[in-house]
Amino acid sequence: MKRHEVSKCLLCNNPIDESVTWITLLSNQFPRTICSHCEDKFEPYPAEPIDKTVISLYKYNEQMKDYLHRYKFMHDVLLAKVFRHQIHQHLAKKEATIVPIPMHPEKLKERTFAHVDELLKQANIIYEHYLIKITTETQGGKTREQRINARQIFALKENQNPAGKEFILVDDIYTTGTTINQAKKILLDAKAKSVTAFTLIRR
Amino acid sequence: MNFKLSKTRKPHKLSYKGIIIEPQIRDFFAGRIWTRYNTPFPQSKVDTYILRNYFTTKKGITIRTKVLIFQRTHFTCNRCQNKIQQEFVQYTCAKCEKECVYCRHCLNMGRVTSCTDLISWIGAKPLTHKKHLLDWNGTFTEAQKEAATQLVSSIKQKRNHLNHAVCGAGKTEILFPAVHYALNRGLRVCIATPRTDVVLELFPRFQKVFPKTNIHALYGKAPKQTGFAQLVISTTHQLFRFENAFDVIIVDEADAFPYTYDQALQKAVHKVKKQDAPVALVTATPSPQILAKQKKEKWGYSFIPKRYHGHPLPIPRYESLWSYDKAIQKGRIPRKLREWTNEKLSNQEPFLIFFPTIQLMEQAIPLFQQLDERILSVHAEDTDRKEKVMKLRNEQILGLLTTTILERGITIKNVQVAVVGAESKIFTSSALIQISGRVGRNAAFPKGDIVFFHHGITAEMDEARNEIFRLNKEGFGKNETP
Ligand SMILES: [Zn+2]
Ligand SMILES: [Zn+2]
Ligand SMILES: [Zn+2]
Repeated sequence: MKRHEVSKCLLCNNPIDESVTWITLLSNQFPRTICSHCEDKFEPYPAEPIDKTVISLYKYNEQMKDYLHRYKFMHDVLLAKVFRHQIHQHLAKKEATIVPIPMHPEKLKERTFAHVDELLKQANIIYEHYLIKITTETQGGKTREQRINARQIFALKENQNPAGKEFILVDDIYTTGTTINQAKKILLDAKAKSVTAFTLIRR
Repeated sequence: MNFKLSKTRKPHKLSYKGIIIEPQIRDFFAGRIWTRYNTPFPQSKVDTYILRNYFTTKKGITIRTKVLIFQRTHFTCNRCQNKIQQEFVQYTCAKCEKECVYCRHCLNMGRVTSCTDLISWIGAKPLTHKKHLLDWNGTFTEAQKEAATQLVSSIKQKRNHLNHAVCGAGKTEILFPAVHYALNRGLRVCIATPRTDVVLELFPRFQKVFPKTNIHALYGKAPKQTGFAQLVISTTHQLFRFENAFDVIIVDEADAFPYTYDQALQKAVHKVKKQDAPVALVTATPSPQILAKQKKEKWGYSFIPKRYHGHPLPIPRYESLWSYDKAIQKGRIPRKLREWTNEKLSNQEPFLIFFPTIQLMEQAIPLFQQLDERILSVHAEDTDRKEKVMKLRNEQILGLLTTTILERGITIKNVQVAVVGAESKIFTSSALIQISGRVGRNAAFPKGDIVFFHHGITAEMDEARNEIFRLNKEGFGKNETP
């Protein structure tokens, strides 16, 4: 994903009129990839969540639905750049090990990219895989009950020892919490010191 | 080969190479270019046809390495012909475990990458019919008749054609004889337009007058349509999915803002037409480039300066509306605009008010709704666009505020039109001519008000008005110019 830096909004294709100010220059921010009109349509998730162990940045509104569709299902990998600044701000200074929720290898081949890893890469966040996905089924098509009663969906990755370490799990979207909870359990069962979670979106 | 054919032996054992072609596969793929793994048919079936050479395959993206001072790769999308390098994205593909490339230009039709194949049908051609019925009993004006005849003649000669017809000249009807002629020769015809609205307007009209013809309407999110369509009405965007398919192409509203008959569109048309297929452009506002091309390449040409009902085009009038944007931002409709709106409301005349930006329009709409709550606003991304226009047409609402999105392809009886901020850059002379062309289209209401509210008169405004004067002069001679 090299090539040219972005001059037109990645979502609506209108020109991005970013005036480079001293602040943007000195604070070393990522250049914008979407226009302010598109940005305003994303709705932040309230900063004070009930469950403090999961931090989420945005609500799942129409704009986000559209974004996720284009990124994950239309496979527009470039859109991994859209939230790089926000993700960087939240995770760059964290001491804990960043662990993306993994994809099943078959699913990965189908999608051709790991959408969570890609979000982190674009935000310059170092991450490490501790888990592997052992089922190919997706959470999307299930009822709430089915999801909660689901079989184990993850296993510990070979040669990784989480004992005594702190972790932040990262996923694109938090729906019922099954995914995060299952992943968390694997790490805690292997004696991880603490596990919290960060997701881009929360429904 | 030393075996004998005997009657007892089943013939299909011999013809192991052939398969019976399913008509729905042939009819679907004929003239199309499609991604191999994303068809409406079972993959095993498609793979079998490919194996038996009923398709040719090529890579989704061609990668060329140019060696200048340093090495540089250059990409071309084989579906949409895009060559704009910024619209290609290189990334590490998990399927191939190497760098692959995809095209963003046509992404919304399903991603095309350097590691996906595109397939084109080379098997037997679908059966075309030669008995199409033109069920239309309207009458042509002299000018329409002449233009229609000229268009048929160009298509007979396989010559390109420019049909320049003023807004409200009845240019769709002019196409009927030419389309009928081509269909009856067994030719495949495409009517392409940059706008979905125009496809939606043309489709039912053609269905009605060609009741025996299978017609497909193609636009984003169009419903699935079956069989082989000898007549295709498509947005220019959807043309990406065809290749070497059509014997005749008509580009309607060739210069519809924000599209011009530009390089990209010309390339798309070139790709989907058969080699010697004629292209006819239909427009109310031909650009100087198109006019020059028509002369240079000796295309056929027809010109209709008069509306079908024989009345002249309404001439826009100017009204100053100083600092209208500041007034609206302060929550106030400028006096002249308010009075204009109130007048239309009390006369019960439907009206359109054009705004230069969505932002300004959104600030204005609550103010207008205080005058009358039956006023709505529409813009390009509005999902209820169709419904809102219908409401205006059915007199359920009295007025619509709009961005330039409604400048063409909409016809509302007795509509009155105002442009707010006519000096804005977005209102080019051709946009203003089109907007003015909304007024007085109905024979029962051939007149109507078209007013340019402005903060200073621009050259584009004058150009639009002069062109309308000129067209009226062409149509009616000096003395009759209003
Ligand atoms: Zn945008
Ligand atoms: Zn393309
Ligand atoms: Zn690949």
